Amino acid sequence: MLGTCRLLSVMASRALHQCVRSLARPSLRLLSANLAVRAAPVPAAAALRPLSFAAASRRTRWLGKSSVSSGVLCRQYGDLPPLTLETIKERVMYVLKLYDKINPEKLQTSSHFMKDLGLDSLDQVEIIMAMEDEFGFEIPDVEAEKLMTPSEIVEYIADKKDVYE
Amino acid sequence: MASTAATRAAAGAAKVVKPIFSRDLDEAKRRVRELYRAWYREIPNTVALFQLDITTQQGQDKLREMFDKNKHVTDPRLVDMLVIKGKMELQETIHVWKQKTHIMRYFQESEEPRATDFLSKFYRGNEP
Repeated sequence: MLGTCRLLSVMASRALHQCVRSLARPSLRLLSANLAVRAAPVPAAAALRPLSFAAASRRTRWLGKSSVSSGVLCRQYGDLPPLTLETIKERVMYVLKLYDKINPEKLQTSSHFMKDLGLDSLDQVEIIMAMEDEFGFEIPDVEAEKLMTPSEIVEYIADKKDVYE
Repeated sequence: MASTAATRAAAGAAKVVKPIFSRDLDEAKRRVRELYRAWYREIPNTVALFQLDITTQQGQDKLREMFDKNKHVTDPRLVDMLVIKGKMELQETIHVWKQKTHIMRYFQESEEPRATDFLSKFYRGNEP
């Protein structure tokens, strides 16, 4: 599995180089003309240097344009969007509304599972497991037994994932 | 008479027994929750592995039913023993030492439920 991943990444990088090279070709003539006037290095190096330079400038400009919408000028790797307190709360309430033992009208962020919603301790365990599945990290039972309201769950997840406000 | 009975009851209540795993009921309940979690995560794998004809939801309901059967227990040693038996069942299910028929035995009622009220016990016979 690791071999196929590396092969895929190699193929992906090769494809990226090819499309970047095709993008860089129109500017190659201008840059190569400038460099030929200025100095006379080895033709292979001269051919390579403007190619990589143009490719690099093209690449950053191209990727930079796509990430301007997020407001931060950085490369977007394959990561999830950053968590905020509102998104965590929305996801927690969404998962709780999907749970069939909870009445969605009575559900609020401060409703206690046992006192207000009339759930069992095993129901609370099931809810915490659903949160683990949603957010993708394990919540140990020592801390899970104290999480009795949705707002406490949101605070705990924000604490673990370093989400500030 | 009443005073001696009361003192004997008080002495019996204060007697300390050697625990199996947990020292008090909270620890025992924590073990119960851990066991519930492990079984809950295992149910979809079990249904796929043994090719059972039940849905995952039915399996989860049966799991909840088995745990609710012993909800009334308060003695930590008894809770620990039940947790140990549950862990043994889980191990046998995970490692496929059981077979499909053993898992489906959970879903078949083979015993009559014990009579709790006076009249049912009376109809059964002279059992206390």
